[in-house]
Amino acid sequence: MVPNPLALIAEITHRCPLRCVYCSNPLQLAKRDSELATEEWVRVFQEAAGLGVLHLHLTGGEPAARTDLEELIAGGRLAGLYTNLITSGIGISERRLSQLVEAGLDHVQLSFQDSQEEPAAWIAGAKGHAYKVGLANKIRQLPLAFTVNLVVHRQNLDHIEEMIEFIEELQPQRVEIAHAQYYGWALKNRAMLLPTPEQLEHCMRAIEKARHRLAGKVRIDSVVPDYYARYPKACMGGWGRRLLLIDPSGQVLPCHAAGVIPGMRFDNVCDHPLEWIWRESEALQRFRGEEWMAEPCKSCERRTEDFGGCRCQAFLITGDATATDPVCSLSPHHSLIEIARAAASSEVSQPAWSYRTNAG
Amino acid sequence: MPPPLPDSQPRLAPGCRWSTHNEHPVVLFPEGMIRVEGTAQNILELCDGQRTTQEIVAALSARYAAADPQKINQDVASFLEALHQKRIVDY
Repeated sequence: MVPNPLALIAEITHRCPLRCVYCSNPLQLAKRDSELATEEWVRVFQEAAGLGVLHLHLTGGEPAARTDLEELIAGGRLAGLYTNLITSGIGISERRLSQLVEAGLDHVQLSFQDSQEEPAAWIAGAKGHAYKVGLANKIRQLPLAFTVNLVVHRQNLDHIEEMIEFIEELQPQRVEIAHAQYYGWALKNRAMLLPTPEQLEHCMRAIEKARHRLAGKVRIDSVVPDYYARYPKACMGGWGRRLLLIDPSGQVLPCHAAGVIPGMRFDNVCDHPLEWIWRESEALQRFRGEEWMAEPCKSCERRTEDFGGCRCQAFLITGDATATDPVCSLSPHHSLIEIARAAASSEVSQPAWSYRTNAG
Repeated sequence: MPPPLPDSQPRLAPGCRWSTHNEHPVVLFPEGMIRVEGTAQNILELCDGQRTTQEIVAALSARYAAADPQKINQDVASFLEALHQKRIVDY
């Protein structure tokens, strides 16, 4: 029996004015002329609600790059979905923000790269920090939930306290402190992003202190980055189990990165009903359940908790998508993670980013 | 964070709202939902931002005449405090 999905991640465009070095979009970005039309997205939202989906996460690229964002929010809300906008804020004027809220937006997640303009621009490959601060001040005057997202890594973790204080002044209800995850762009830049063990320990202490100080004011969500965890993360809550992602062109994926796995064939919402794709498509069935597992996962007690970890990470690091996620201390490939961690403690001689390109 | 005061006016926090899932009442909030049934539902439905905590306790005491009002008062306060920590309820 295939469980129903609870959340839909809608990558409505890959266009973005920023070029963040850890962008979660694939290296092969979808072009503007391949993007689904407004009415196609709205139909998909209805189908998703019919499947039991509760939360709609509108993301990109920068979702505000689509001029029909208001209509998409209204469509999601009309379908009964809890509508969340994941945005850099660039392209959202004060007036447009009010229109998005009027359309039914429930929650906005505003991303910051740092606490100051210069280092933020160095990460994002473009300026926008001051604009985001101004927008945050408008957001909290409006009736919707407000989360600040902060991606942390080796280049900014030394001033984590300062960044938390900066976020506190923005007065969100919630902050997500997310460690960069090493897929597409972030994997290219891993040598400069992966934190040292000392930084990580310092970060966890700083977060604990802040949680205590801000209890009841700002909720802080954060997890240990998987390169430093003993066991892998339950990636997406299990393949094709809780979440689905639809890319700008309408292809249905189990996660952001699954396109990297060779031989994956994704079905498109233009060709099949979403319910059929969720239950039957080859891509969503490929690593669903336990059939595909090899040892040490196959007989491991934790297999129903972490589902063998992340298939994309297994492929990217070991070359085998059916291998145990190498971040697991039980994986025969775990030494590859230990090598990456050891490299993080040595200095990079000539720091140079691969910035994300644009979708065109 | 202190529990609600007798004259606080508890309400769902911005971006938190009622819905149904598999025919059960739920409250949706960023990144999650809680199923709200029984007493929890009775309490939360009274949290309209108008009624005070005191009035909510009085309404519940009238409804559950057999229960000790002192106990109801404590239950309401700790329930709302827990949801406030999660940023689902404001007061």
